[in-house]
Amino acid sequence: MLLSCRWFSIEYWYLDSNQQRIWSFPVSKIVAIVHSGSTNCKKKIHFVLLISRQGKVRLTKWYSPYSQKERTKVIRELSGVILSRGPKLCNFVEWRGYKVVYKRYASLYFCMCIDQDDNELEVLEIIHHYVEILDRYFGSVCELDLIFNFHKAYYILDELLIAGELQESSKKTVARLIAAQDSLVESAKEQASSISNIIAQATK
Amino acid sequence: MKDMIRAIRACKTAAEERAVIRKESAAIRAAINENDQDYRHRNLAKLMFIHMLGYPTHFGQMECLKLIASAGFPEKRIGYLGLMLLLDERQEVLMLVTNSLKQDLNHSNQYIVGLALCALGNICSAEMARDLAPEVERLLQFRDPNIRKKAALCSIRIIKKVPDLAENFINPAAALLKEKHHGVLITGIQLCTDLCKVSPEALEYFRKKCTEGLVRTLKDIINSPYAPEYDIAGITDPFLHIRLLKLLRMLGQGDADASDTMNDVLAQVATKAESNKNAGNAILYECVETIMSIEDNGGLRVLAINILGRFLSNRDNNIRYVALNMLMKAITVDAQAVQRHRATILECVKDSDASIRKRALELVYLLVNESNVKPLTKELIEYLEVSDQEFKGELTAKVCSIVEKFSPEKIWYIDQMLKVLIEAGNFVKDEVWHALIVAISNASDLHGYTVRALYRSFQTSAEQETLVRVAVWCVGEYGDMLVNNVGVLDIEDPTTVTESDAVDVVEIAIQRHALDLTTKAMALIALLKLSSRFPSCSGRIKDIIVQYKGSFVLELQQRSLEFNSIIEKHQNIRSALVERMPVLDEATFSGRRAGSLLTTVSTSSRASHNLPNGVAKPSAAPLVDLLDLSDDAPAPSSSDGNFLHDLLGVDLAPASAQSGTNQASKAGTDVLLDLLSIGSTTPVQSNSSTPDMLSSGLDNQKQIATLDALSSPLPSAPANSSVGASSMMDLLDGFASSPSKREDNGSVHPSIVAFESSNLRVTFNFSKPPGNPQMTLIQATFINLSSDAFTDFVFQAAVPKFLQLHLDPASSNTLPASGNGSVMQSLRVTNSQHGKKSLVMRIRIAYKLNNKDMLEEGQINNFPRDL
Repeated sequence: MLLSCRWFSIEYWYLDSNQQRIWSFPVSKIVAIVHSGSTNCKKKIHFVLLISRQGKVRLTKWYSPYSQKERTKVIRELSGVILSRGPKLCNFVEWRGYKVVYKRYASLYFCMCIDQDDNELEVLEIIHHYVEILDRYFGSVCELDLIFNFHKAYYILDELLIAGELQESSKKTVARLIAAQDSLVESAKEQASSISNIIAQATK
Repeated sequence: MKDMIRAIRACKTAAEERAVIRKESAAIRAAINENDQDYRHRNLAKLMFIHMLGYPTHFGQMECLKLIASAGFPEKRIGYLGLMLLLDERQEVLMLVTNSLKQDLNHSNQYIVGLALCALGNICSAEMARDLAPEVERLLQFRDPNIRKKAALCSIRIIKKVPDLAENFINPAAALLKEKHHGVLITGIQLCTDLCKVSPEALEYFRKKCTEGLVRTLKDIINSPYAPEYDIAGITDPFLHIRLLKLLRMLGQGDADASDTMNDVLAQVATKAESNKNAGNAILYECVETIMSIEDNGGLRVLAINILGRFLSNRDNNIRYVALNMLMKAITVDAQAVQRHRATILECVKDSDASIRKRALELVYLLVNESNVKPLTKELIEYLEVSDQEFKGELTAKVCSIVEKFSPEKIWYIDQMLKVLIEAGNFVKDEVWHALIVAISNASDLHGYTVRALYRSFQTSAEQETLVRVAVWCVGEYGDMLVNNVGVLDIEDPTTVTESDAVDVVEIAIQRHALDLTTKAMALIALLKLSSRFPSCSGRIKDIIVQYKGSFVLELQQRSLEFNSIIEKHQNIRSALVERMPVLDEATFSGRRAGSLLTTVSTSSRASHNLPNGVAKPSAAPLVDLLDLSDDAPAPSSSDGNFLHDLLGVDLAPASAQSGTNQASKAGTDVLLDLLSIGSTTPVQSNSSTPDMLSSGLDNQKQIATLDALSSPLPSAPANSSVGASSMMDLLDGFASSPSKREDNGSVHPSIVAFESSNLRVTFNFSKPPGNPQMTLIQATFINLSSDAFTDFVFQAAVPKFLQLHLDPASSNTLPASGNGSVMQSLRVTNSQHGKKSLVMRIRIAYKLNNKDMLEEGQINNFPRDL
């Protein structure tokens, strides 16, 4: 018996060796999360998470593909594990064959997920690097800054990491690039408002 | 925007929050429908926030694309951010953005180019990688360094997605290594490292051309004067250090010359890096790993091990953790040096930090050998008494495995296992105590000793379930030795146990409510055995057994009734019936253990373990029949499956064939085959070649007719054509070209690791049948990486429309632990778009691990391209 499969739609048809037993199930029922299937995605950060002490998510960035369902599951599981750990323990948690490196700054936990054989200490340093840049940008950053300017936090992260790899080791360069882009946005806004002023005046 | 966040934050309950979100989402959807230009970016920002909270936002995906397509920088910036957050590489919508990306990569504004590169690097799919690779390659030479570094990371993503493209990037990547800008240098080094991973030519090229240059760069950076921009804790750019060391590791591995070139500089790093700050330790850690991986240099290795020793005694938990981690790798290089730290490592097993404990335990496990097993086991078992509940399971499993693997003598093994059972009997896995029983039954000189030791421990630790099981079994088998003090060893304290004391043990076991069915069933068997061994207690035992006559659990009820009738009516054969178990064969057991757990149990100690069958189908008519039967004929209840099959198969076959379940029709066929005395014992193959078979319709009809004729004793002969067909297939197996006899002389393709998780690895071997380029034969090999066997292993696969898939049955449905064997399964894939599209497959693997259902899924994209 041959099978047909609607590849990109919601339902998948699976076939086992008895051929007859074909059934479908919605993707949302996926239980386990596996590596994206190819083995060469090694050595990188799989995702970045910022969780508050109450377990609220403040920032998520996924560098390996996870479906929405999986993401929620990951966040729930990890926040359970990490928030329950005591203050003096080490900053690494082994989880589903990966390692999660986390560090607490005030009320926020910064977490990054890496492969088993990656350098945990370096990731800890990357987290600190990110926090310092945030601190410099916002001027002594606090959780509220990140809530109301979450997009800014993302922009900074994008200047620091691409595809889960570090792209810049100089805080100054990151700050300069972000400032340049912010000013581009500002000038575009001014331009827009001056145009609308002109239009407004012209129509008077 | 801020108002919305405030409103959401003001919500006190989840329901309120949902209400606010619903309102906002509705407003945004309305704005989208009206195609509102002005507030588009604000709406998208809101959507991202909503998305972060975990609510559905798929309706906003098209908005991202519109924003990206607009001209201004602010719109594009938010658009790309939304793209990266709301979509991932698996969505089809992503294809629509390829064109905008292409335009932006060629944009005159470098910040827009930067945005496009960032998005591409984070979410590009294989198709996009192929389309946009030339643009990225060109941008590696862009005038602005910030674009070059982004392009380099983008290239990493591209070559990971499409390894074939790697060769185009080798030369530009090598050029990046000469850069002075740290960002470009770091990303360039990363790109080279990843190129080395996907392409052996790249590795060879960099090894020849760049090793010396990299060593020089590393030297410069170590000795560079204070640079405020890159300084972290007194070290100039630790990130660059680490990446250089990583790449050098790739280059040095397996190449003596390259390793030689870098020896000096590694020694310099190892001695110079500051070890009182995290950054310095990160470098040292990376350096140690590099030293361990490159070709042997005795002096450096000593230096590295010493660094790890220093790490291990560090007060910082992080440092100790990485030290343990690294020692695990070092053990293959220099086991002796690691053994020196054994005491410290053992201390770490008792640490308060779960992560450290876990690492340390794994390391200890690797450290154990014949010479140190006794002290190590002693330490671990002592710790077992005080460890946390959640750690006990893991610890118990490891201790058991150590004891089994390295025990120097039987008595020591039994002693240690008893200790474990006393401390953590509830955490001991079934297979472990089964193994213990096998070992006990084989040690004939220790029977008396063991049963007495178990008797004593039962008095103190009756709450440990597995201890109770083993004790009950041994008392049942060797109860006479317990009472008569047979084979007393010098080390034992003398004890006096009366016959009724022995029966007490079993009675306590059977009457504890907390204990489960298996234990109770075992206890009933033990009672039966004791009734013959201790005739004086026979009456009392009968009373206990009779109590279960009305048990709601079928298994117990059945046993109770049968045993009662044995005791009452069949005195003459009772003693023969309950003789001591024959010595269990260790070799068969360990062989079986590697295979299925269930079958092991039901055959090795037929006494108690046929439970799963009985419990699973309490209402099944056959069992009731059997019950009636056994009332007048004292057959042991746990007749094995064949007996039941033989007895009932004949009546059962037609009925179940009609019910149409797969299993039953198979059974029916088997019976048919038996009747026809064809003698083929192989189970019916899957009907993968049924179509071919059916095509010869006339033949088929005739066969069925003969079948009918031959099976005349069966009133309702299998009119069910599927049964006929499949049995016929068996009949004709010799003539039909069966799939397994295919000749593999097609073109050769490299095998791939199709899927790998922490538990399981799947490799695919490919072959092509001659004359049919569209078809690919895949031999899948499954290897179990976990420490426990898998049962009920089922592999399923799905393919897109342009492919057709056939699966043959797997070689087995159980998978032995830790890679001690594999399951094979062949697949046949027909690619209707051969040459245009490559294979892709989604797989789903279900199995039982420790009786827990597991399900793993994955997508295989790394098929060789020309299949």
